[in-house]
Formats: sequence, structure tokens, C-alpha cells
Amino acid sequence: MEIPTETQPEVESLNKLMKKTLISVVLAGVAFALYQNFSLMPGYEGLNVGLSNYIIESGLKDTGSLNLITAVLYDYRAFDSLGESTVIFGAVSGIVLILSRKMLPVSSKGLSFIVKRTLGIMTPFIALFGLYVITHGHLTPGGGFQGGVILAAISIIFSIVYGSAFDYRRYSPQTKTALETGGALTFLGLGLAGIFMEGAFLHNLGFLTAETGTLISAGSIPYINIGVGFKVGAGLAIIFYSMIQKTFEEDF
Amino acid sequence: MPIRLIAAYFLMITGSAFAIVTVLGLLRFPDVYTRIHAGAVVLTISAVLVTMGTAIYVWDFFLSAKIILIGIFFLFSNPMATHAIARASYKREIALPKEYEIDAYSDYLGRDV
Repeated sequence: MEIPTETQPEVESLNKLMKKTLISVVLAGVAFALYQNFSLMPGYEGLNVGLSNYIIESGLKDTGSLNLITAVLYDYRAFDSLGESTVIFGAVSGIVLILSRKMLPVSSKGLSFIVKRTLGIMTPFIALFGLYVITHGHLTPGGGFQGGVILAAISIIFSIVYGSAFDYRRYSPQTKTALETGGALTFLGLGLAGIFMEGAFLHNLGFLTAETGTLISAGSIPYINIGVGFKVGAGLAIIFYSMIQKTFEEDF
Repeated sequence: MPIRLIAAYFLMITGSAFAIVTVLGLLRFPDVYTRIHAGAVVLTISAVLVTMGTAIYVWDFFLSAKIILIGIFFLFSNPMATHAIARASYKREIALPKEYEIDAYSDYLGRDV
């Protein structure tokens, strides 16, 4: 019984030494990789001759997207956008984990008849506008994130105006979770398709390009937009639902 | 100056005058309900007049149709939002509706849900 108590500190110190060496080796490797990466970057040459000039000149030819911001977001820096949507996924998971003890909030009766009828007329147009912003992200200002927020506003309108049970019956949290996961899987699937067909992760798919300016053009950018849109909309709706644990008892 | 531009400027200036009236009402009226009544003016009349003036000013079919659609959206949305705010503040008894001499809305409250 005495031998393990004597040898245990030695083993622990050896383990700590192993851990420290491993950590320093990994850190040195990461530092070397980062140094290699940053040494490849072009130097700063002023605002008019740098990388932005290249994107303005040949962004349309490279990607086929009329909206250059969308071209940067979903083609040149699509990996960055994948990281952003992963951040949204992490935020949704954390908020649901912390805030929601039960998924279904207490129902309320909603607002008055006038508000219900007026929003019954206006909500389809809001949905149409959200889908327009998502699908025309490569032609006009907008894109997946913005249109997704508009789609999430519809869910919030439903639960405030018509009572929270109404929206729960239409689109349950399971449906929203499936939509969010489907959007993320669309993004990742397009990235993997870029590996297999073009040779780089999230590379713009060449066979999907068409005449510039039409709705189905610009390679895989519209499909990534649709995936990101549904992911952001469903994620924000889930966040909103987690935050209204106790709804209003009285009707306004 | 053609008469179309004169009409457009007339509509826009009238809309701006109503916006000034809204600001005066928001500053001078005593409590919530009269201020809501004044604040509803800026979208229902002023913004609609300005959109009509802009639609006449650009005078292109699709652009004018889009601008007029925005005006119709204002006509739908703003009275509804004003109604919702006024009803909520009445039910919460903000600014004490019992102090009014005539309180016609309390007769209707049981019926419209």
C-alpha cells in the first residue's frame, strides 16, 4: 500500500512534463504554420492598388455574382462565413441549454382582432420579401443572413400577435431544429462538393454557372445563401422561443 | 417647370408640414393617448403624401409602383401599430383612463377580442 503513494507523485510529475512538452510542440507547430501563412500574404500597398482593387476588377468574372459583397462572403471568404454560421449555431445551443427548461411556453391569447387581421394580410408579403432577399442575394443587396432575420421576424410576429401556441402548432421547435441543421448541412455539403469537383473546400461549383444576372447563376452562391438563410432564421426563432419562458397572462 | 414637378413638390411640402405638426403635438399634448393620436399623423398622412410626391417626381412606371406600394404598406401598418399601443396602454391603465369624464372605450372592451 505504501508503494503507490510513493510512486504516484513521480508519475504525476512525469505526466505534467509530457503534457508541457506536447503543448509546447503543438504551439510551436501552430506558430510555424501561422508564420508560413502570414508570410504568403501580400504586403499593404495602399487603398487603391491592394486586394480590394483586384476584387472590384475581377470579382464579377471570377464568381458571376453581381453583388460583390456576396461574392466576397460566399466565394472568396466562404470559409469565414462557415465559421460565422458555426458561431450562430454555438450561440443557439448555449442559449437553449441555459434558458429553456421546457420548450413550450405558456399560451396567451394574443393581441386584438384588428392587429390579427391586419397581420394576416401583411405576413405573406413579409415572407415573400424575406425569400426574395435570400434568393436574390447574388444580384441585389441582401443575402442569407439578412433574409434569415426577416424570416425569423415572422415567427416572432406569430408568437406575439397570435399567441405562442399558434406558432408552436405551425412550426414546432423540432421543425425549426431540422431547418437549422438542414441549412448547415447544405453549406457543408456544398463545401465537400467543392472538394470533389473543383479541388478546394467551398470552391465555386463551375457547372452551376449561367448567364450573369439571371436568378440561377453565380455557381453555388445562391444555394449557400438559401442554406444560411434558413439556418439563421430558424436559429433566431429558437433563441426567441427560449427567451420567452413566461408569457403574458393578460391579453393586450 | 412642368406642372408635374409642381404637383410633386406640393405633395412633398404638405407632407413635411404634417410632420412638423406631429412634432408640435408630441411636445405639447398632455398624456399618452393624445400623443399617440399626434404621433400617428407622421406615417399615415405625412409619409404617404411624401411617397405620392416622390412617385410623381420620378414618373417611371415600375419605380412609381414600388414607391406607391411602400405608401400602401404604411397605410396598413401604422394605424394597426398605433391601435395596438393605445389598447395595451389602456389595459395597463397607463395615464389613468378612469380620470376622463367620457370613457367610451370601456364599454367595448368586453366584446372585441
